[in-house]
Amino acid sequence: MSYTLRGRLESRLAVSLLPFAVACVLAAGLREWWPLQLAGTMIAIGLFLDAALYHRLFPYQPGWVALPLGLLELGATMALVLRLDVEAPLRPALAFFAGSWLLAQVLGQAGFPLLRLGYGDDGGELGRSGSALSLAAPVATLAVLGVAWIAQPPTINIRGTIQGPLVLDRAQTLVGAPGTVVRGGIVILADDVTVRDVTVFGGEIGIEVRKSEDVVLDRVHVAAATMDGISARQSSLEIHDCRIDTPPVAGAQGIDISFASDQPPSLVEGCEVRGGSEGIVSHMAMVMVSENRVSGTALRGIAVTEMSMGSVEHNTVEDATGVGIYCGDYSHCEISENSVTGTRVDESGNPTRAGFGIVSHFGAVATLEDNQLDRGAAAFIDGRLEHR
Amino acid sequence: MRCAIVGAGLGGFVAYATLRHGGLEPGEIAVFGHDPDPASAWRPRAEAIRQRLMRSESDGHCYPTSFPGLAAREAARTGSLTPLLRSVADRYRPSVGEFLRHVDLLRARSGWDESFLPANVESVRSVDGGFELDDHGSFRHVLLAPGHPGLALPPELAGDSRAVHAYEPHEYADRVAIVGAGMAAATEWLNALAAGAEVVSVRRREPARRPLNVARPLFSKRGLAGFHATKPVERAQLLKSFAAPSYPPGRSWDAPLAAAASEGRFRVTAELNGSEQVICATGFHRGFQHDALLRRLVEEHGLETHERWLVLDPDSTVPALTDATRTLSLAGVSAQWAYPAGDTLVGMKFAARRFLGKVGACPTR
Repeated sequence: MSYTLRGRLESRLAVSLLPFAVACVLAAGLREWWPLQLAGTMIAIGLFLDAALYHRLFPYQPGWVALPLGLLELGATMALVLRLDVEAPLRPALAFFAGSWLLAQVLGQAGFPLLRLGYGDDGGELGRSGSALSLAAPVATLAVLGVAWIAQPPTINIRGTIQGPLVLDRAQTLVGAPGTVVRGGIVILADDVTVRDVTVFGGEIGIEVRKSEDVVLDRVHVAAATMDGISARQSSLEIHDCRIDTPPVAGAQGIDISFASDQPPSLVEGCEVRGGSEGIVSHMAMVMVSENRVSGTALRGIAVTEMSMGSVEHNTVEDATGVGIYCGDYSHCEISENSVTGTRVDESGNPTRAGFGIVSHFGAVATLEDNQLDRGAAAFIDGRLEHR
Repeated sequence: MRCAIVGAGLGGFVAYATLRHGGLEPGEIAVFGHDPDPASAWRPRAEAIRQRLMRSESDGHCYPTSFPGLAAREAARTGSLTPLLRSVADRYRPSVGEFLRHVDLLRARSGWDESFLPANVESVRSVDGGFELDDHGSFRHVLLAPGHPGLALPPELAGDSRAVHAYEPHEYADRVAIVGAGMAAATEWLNALAAGAEVVSVRRREPARRPLNVARPLFSKRGLAGFHATKPVERAQLLKSFAAPSYPPGRSWDAPLAAAASEGRFRVTAELNGSEQVICATGFHRGFQHDALLRRLVEEHGLETHERWLVLDPDSTVPALTDATRTLSLAGVSAQWAYPAGDTLVGMKFAARRFLGKVGACPTR
């Protein structure tokens, strides 16, 4: 087949119609954007390669070339999907691409030549249908973008002092004006919730996240929560640039992310956690704890425990009693480039709490690299320390 | 009747199948020719050169839609994927048997025999709202597919009892000179060598090695756009270059020739020698002047020509005799001005599809 440029683009758009429709249905059914994002990426890559590469490279394109070109497009699509952080699950994404490619071959080799006598003669052009399609494509793109914009979670602006607890049970973005305070805590019970620039004061738990994904806590300040500053259960969230001031209450924790082994990894980044029993802790979860400053904890500064998997890097832990960074109970921890200073011996006399910078405990495996520890690292009860 | 096809060979047959696909009934189409078998002219030529495989590929068929092609049909018939795999790699060549089988099938299915009229049309005259074909009546839309205008023999061999045209029935003497260097000549080299003859290839030019008659982009709009944009002198030069002898590359051609050459049974010369037999693989006469019907058409209507070509619009119609109400179209080798590979089945379909477009767009049909 010797495609004209117009023929390539029209054929591409025509074979993309059904995958696009399927993506719309999938997106609606799954209540996820990734099918549309994936389809959009796939179509955009195809159109780009058609115009920029294939047209020049292939005055004539033998049938077999479709296979390597398909692999090239698959690679480019997946690379862009990763780059754009499209959260498409791998197998469904590959299946979607493969199905779309197969459909394109069937239509290009059989469907269009059957429907349009001069398809081959005209270099893949589709006549009036193709022109209509070329006009409809940007309209459809704008429509999808419009729907996406309309379907964005609403942004709710709050100001002043609000008596909580605030319960957020729908997707939304909650933004506080400077000086906004919520008393009595925030409870998040829905996916796609963002809380930004809010101070939470008092209550047992400052911000409580339950069974929710894609939660973002950005520049929140939690003070005087008597149990946990932030507590997430069975959830996946990102916490950026927070500040947690934990009162001197027995058992109080700064940030606790637990029971989320089946959830995507959570991130705690750029936070300042002061006081409390444990500063940042995970139980049975996948976590990335990065660039935080934790100080004045009574039990452990940062703890990755109970079969968690975590990377702990570029954190500063100061003045912790007992343990600076703890990897426990069959967890696997990558601990690198942290600074742990000022740890103190716990008066309990427990040898595992003798003020070590890092402790690996009870079957845990801690891999260490370039940490600055003024009291060293130790392993207890089948815990392992591995140095990279 | 609305449409007439003058010429009942493969070109006319392709046009007929296309019109039928476009919704015309057999009673609306008249086909004028000598023989109701559309392969009657082609078949003996293929037999004469012992052709076993077509030069064309899967698309080289008479069906109106390009899919399913002969590869897909053969795959479906035999249950083997090999034809399809060869086709996607442009390595599928249908056998002559496969090709003729599909002609017979399509002939039976299309109603061709209902439309066939055994008559030799000698003149096409422009009349009000159409064309008069001798005394067979007037037709609004006419497609001329007269085929090749006779076999070409080098003048110096005219009357030479040793000479036979490759497309005429013949056997092989012990020492054979084969004139020409195209596909038919190459086929004859192998035939004669296989028959045990000593072969001398007489040629003035080295043949090009290419799979098809012309470069692939010239089979569709991409290449044709540039071709149609050329000035007449340049276009004539291009057409002459496309007519230069060629045959496909590949070991199946080269290996037997190399083996025979090493045994002293195959050699190339520029002049005829004293061979017992001279096979002229010199193709056909070229140009509308050699076709009585076209020559008269040009003379009577003062049509524009350039050298040996009748000047056509890009849609293969005669510009001076085609408007919104009537169509005079050419298909086959005489349509090369519009489509360089006009004498291929794909070229015949190109003309036929555009003819159908004209018929369909005509307000009175």
